[in-house]
Amino acid sequence: MRKYWPLSFFILPGLLMYVIFFVFPAISALGLSLTDWNGITPERNFVGLANYKEMLTNDPIFAQAFGNNIKYMLFVVFFQTLFSLIFAMMLVKNSRLNVFYRALFFLPTIIASISVAFIWIFVYDPSIGSLNTFLTKLKLDFLIQSWLGDKNIAIYSIAVVQCWAHIGQVMVIFIAGLQSIPKSLYEVARIEGATPWQTFRHVTWPLLAPSATIVVAYTTLQSFKAFDLILAMTDGGPSYATEILSLFLYHQAFNHYKFGYASATAVIFMLIVASITLLQFKILRANKVSY
Amino acid sequence: MKLRKGLVVLTILMLVAGLVLGGCGQKKPEAPKEPEKTVIRFAHWRGEDKAAFESIIKKFEAENPTIKVEQSIEGSEKHDTKLLAEFQAKNGPDVFAVMPGARFANVVKGGWFLDISGEKFLDVVKPHLRLPGQDGGKQYAVPYQLVFNDPVYNKGIFEKYKLEPPKDWKGFLALCETLKKNGITPIIFDSEIGPGQFMNPMLMNNMPSDDALVKVQKGELKLTEDWFVTTLKQFKELNDKGYFQKDVLGTKKAGAAALFAQEKGAMLAQGSYMMASNKQANPNLKQGLLAPITVSADKMKYEGIHTATFMIAINKDSKNVEAAKKFMAFLFKPEIAAEYANATGQMLTISGVQYKTEELMEQAKWLEKKTLFQPRYMITVSEVEKAIVNSIMDVIGGMAPEKAALKAQQEVDRVIKK
Repeated sequence: MRKYWPLSFFILPGLLMYVIFFVFPAISALGLSLTDWNGITPERNFVGLANYKEMLTNDPIFAQAFGNNIKYMLFVVFFQTLFSLIFAMMLVKNSRLNVFYRALFFLPTIIASISVAFIWIFVYDPSIGSLNTFLTKLKLDFLIQSWLGDKNIAIYSIAVVQCWAHIGQVMVIFIAGLQSIPKSLYEVARIEGATPWQTFRHVTWPLLAPSATIVVAYTTLQSFKAFDLILAMTDGGPSYATEILSLFLYHQAFNHYKFGYASATAVIFMLIVASITLLQFKILRANKVSY
Repeated sequence: MKLRKGLVVLTILMLVAGLVLGGCGQKKPEAPKEPEKTVIRFAHWRGEDKAAFESIIKKFEAENPTIKVEQSIEGSEKHDTKLLAEFQAKNGPDVFAVMPGARFANVVKGGWFLDISGEKFLDVVKPHLRLPGQDGGKQYAVPYQLVFNDPVYNKGIFEKYKLEPPKDWKGFLALCETLKKNGITPIIFDSEIGPGQFMNPMLMNNMPSDDALVKVQKGELKLTEDWFVTTLKQFKELNDKGYFQKDVLGTKKAGAAALFAQEKGAMLAQGSYMMASNKQANPNLKQGLLAPITVSADKMKYEGIHTATFMIAINKDSKNVEAAKKFMAFLFKPEIAAEYANATGQMLTISGVQYKTEELMEQAKWLEKKTLFQPRYMITVSEVEKAIVNSIMDVIGGMAPEKAALKAQQEVDRVIKK
């Protein structure tokens, strides 16, 4: 063991960066969460757990933001995973046309979130937006909605945009997973007379499970930590219908100048994300497949 | 060996001779040193004004060769965030723009404003227009732009249907009905900035006092009282009667502006600051300003709303205060202000400015009218402001005015701990 100790110097730069840019801010956020600091004046008073108490017991907007977070996450995780899997299965063969389509589906991933938001604000506009115009042309007027204005659907309208922007990215992970499944297994299934559904159910899906777990883990965190898209599209409105925790935190800090309260939100947010990550890590380990 | 020694001696001799001869020569005249320049930074959020300010800065630098002005521009929200971070790090801009209301109050709280009370350049701004930049009797910032937060209307449509800006609520509803009957959306309203803008003229004659919203944040007045509920009911009436375009809450600022520029609506519930960009989008547009009078004509106190959204101030910690003051004084010269106003289409607080565009001349008429300073900017607690704005959205979204008022009041109570 002793002869390896000089090797520890090699991890020092990384460790140092981690301490400076993560550990230190995390500890200082924890400290700030126990104060009433407004982010402007140097004075800060120690308030103990008052910020946590206010947030968890008396702030309806925090509760609403947390609920919105869950709705948003569940929608994105389900539909992003489902559609990226469907597209991956359709485009798994390395033909020229498929490669072209893969690039096409991947394209939204490389567009900045703000640009995506502006594109979709115009798509969703109730008067001049292309979506409602398209539905009118198809005589599907009953489907016309105030996509970003209706409190009941605004969060899902943004979730659709999140899926649109990231399906191509997740699809690539699934394609890699599908291409790593040995072809011999499909041949055996074909010889045994398995139907396409049986082949999917008993060959593809079990062997794709590690990729699916990575996809679900990634999508869960990505959707839970969503921020810029919602900020640009609705800024949490109408009436907090699309306010999620990251946005709530931002508004508390930079609109209301309650840095102590925002830090308490950050701590809670960090705990939630850490719990989800831990849970997924356990599932990921349990899903290891060998063949 | 001898040869090498000789060579060394010869080289030394040549070097000495070179130095001596060089020293005897005439001294080369030194290139004239450029005078050391004082660099000041001017931070604001109006990207659309970059070219206008660049031209003004060039003129200022020509007049003051020892000063260089750097412009730094961020979006309005990022501007505020960055400004506060820079002030805390004692690295703030020398001259900066700030909004009135909660944002101004934050900079006062931080103690980052230089007191500019008594500066000569203030003389060109009428005393009542300087008020939003004052705190505790000191002048910390000077409003530069003068905005009328009243709906912009399409004069062409009004002329076609022989309509005049109404003098009371009944007249306003009748006007909207006529427009609607003729297939024109009376009011284009957006959910992004619309409620925060339109609430001001809707409230101005309903409020029991000019500082009613200040009293709300102090807990002295309640949003559940008649004056506020009535205002919400009037919003509901406009919405229920179909005087706003369909799906107001899904319409963003840009979408609303596009509808108005396409002449699909008669009024745009934003403010005078939109007139220049509307004209740019549709050069045939003839625009005026009108405010809804929500009471009967005899009870009208105000004809409209005015505000200042681009206040200019100096950083207390600036190392170049004199240069910063010189630059600020330059911006407030009427001829320079006129250049800015006509290039950007913005009305200014400065007296003696010659406006050239049709839109600015239209706005200038409002200088003579009785207008109230924007009530929303009198609120200094941003959560109170948000609760009030949200109550309007709630009503338009279908909530009963009384319930929306109660919800807003509960949020205000929670925030101010009453």
